Amino acid sequence: MAGTLSIRVITPERILLDSTCASVSFPTVDGSVGILSGHAPMVAAIGVGELAFKTENGAEESVFIAGGFAEVRDNTVRIVTDTSEPASEIDVERAVEAAQRARKRLEQYESNDGEKLDVLRARTALARALMRERIAKKRR
Amino acid sequence: MAGIKELRVRIKSVGNIKQITRAMEMVASTKLRRFQDRAIASRPYSMEIAGLVARLSSMLGDDVSDQPLFNAGKGTRTLVLFISSDRGLCGAYNTYLFKELEQWLAGRPNAAETDFFVYGRKGAQYLTARGYNVKRFITDPPMEEIDHRTAALTGRMLVDEFETGEYQDVHLVSTGFESMIKYNPRIEPFLPLTPESLGGGEDKAVSADTILEPDANTIFESLVPRYLETRIYSALLESLTSEYASRRFAMKNATDAATDMQKELKSIYNRKRQEKITMELLDIVGGAAAVK
Repeated sequence: MAGTLSIRVITPERILLDSTCASVSFPTVDGSVGILSGHAPMVAAIGVGELAFKTENGAEESVFIAGGFAEVRDNTVRIVTDTSEPASEIDVERAVEAAQRARKRLEQYESNDGEKLDVLRARTALARALMRERIAKKRR
Repeated sequence: MAGIKELRVRIKSVGNIKQITRAMEMVASTKLRRFQDRAIASRPYSMEIAGLVARLSSMLGDDVSDQPLFNAGKGTRTLVLFISSDRGLCGAYNTYLFKELEQWLAGRPNAAETDFFVYGRKGAQYLTARGYNVKRFITDPPMEEIDHRTAALTGRMLVDEFETGEYQDVHLVSTGFESMIKYNPRIEPFLPLTPESLGGGEDKAVSADTILEPDANTIFESLVPRYLETRIYSALLESLTSEYASRRFAMKNATDAATDMQKELKSIYNRKRQEKITMELLDIVGGAAAVK
């Protein structure tokens, strides 16, 4: 595998991640992309999902992200996001609860023609919760 | 002797005040540290976002003028987001802000056509008392509980106002925190976005063949609100940090002054007390001599 990339994940509270890796993949709003060293410069809007990266010795790690932006430049992947948690920090119980809550809400809204915004909100909440749960379980 | 009794009361009341100011100093110190940590922690994020906006807009070049927030509004009025403090007893913190604002307004042709969005009760009081048009006094949530979400709401509000076309520009008046003893009021243009206000050019321009995913407009649409909210958030945090730094300093001065005063009063009190004893002694000695 040629070369390495540096990766930085920056949230308003802290710099979540600052390390080097062999490859990175993250979800954009239009689907997942993978980045290797030497990638062309890119700016992307991030969707909800898993930011996965392979360290130089082959170990895989993943981080939950929702929203934000990624910038690829000079072999550096910089991710600025509001919501991000490494797999080890995800509160699985909370995620499961949140998923249930979102499902219930979704049923309720859809059955009695709730407002579009509410439906949308419940849906994104559900997507976030499920993704958190999946990432957390995968890495344990 | 009345003088002595009065002195004793004064010494005591100075001591009470000293206790209060010292407690306030302590509280301000802790809060200062908390806000400072938050301000520092959020700095990389806001720098990154600002850098991204600057690079993207320099990359798009003239195309950014299609974006509504990059053009001055059609109106003639100016909107100002004014960040002051809720409480007093923080030294000259608010005074500096007001002075800076007055100076700035004096140099503007449309000073009379300025509307204010205000954070902090002190600022609202000042502006209302002087007949400025306070359009909105933001109290919910209280300043000290600000987070990104509420900063985003404020940002949204400002953008909405700007988009009505009534305003030509929006400015941000806050206090920048440089160090524990250095904080300066500052007035910055907020909207419309211009290459200068974005600090474009500090970073090397990105090559034009950068891949944009999904496309420039979509990215801009979600990036710009994020950028504005980050600016409000960090302005609030820095102002709060400065407020507490200023308050701590003021309270420290007050405590020191109280200590000095107490010392002085005590020495006067002791001298008077001794004088009184000496007089009494003299009386007794004199009386005894007379009896002999």
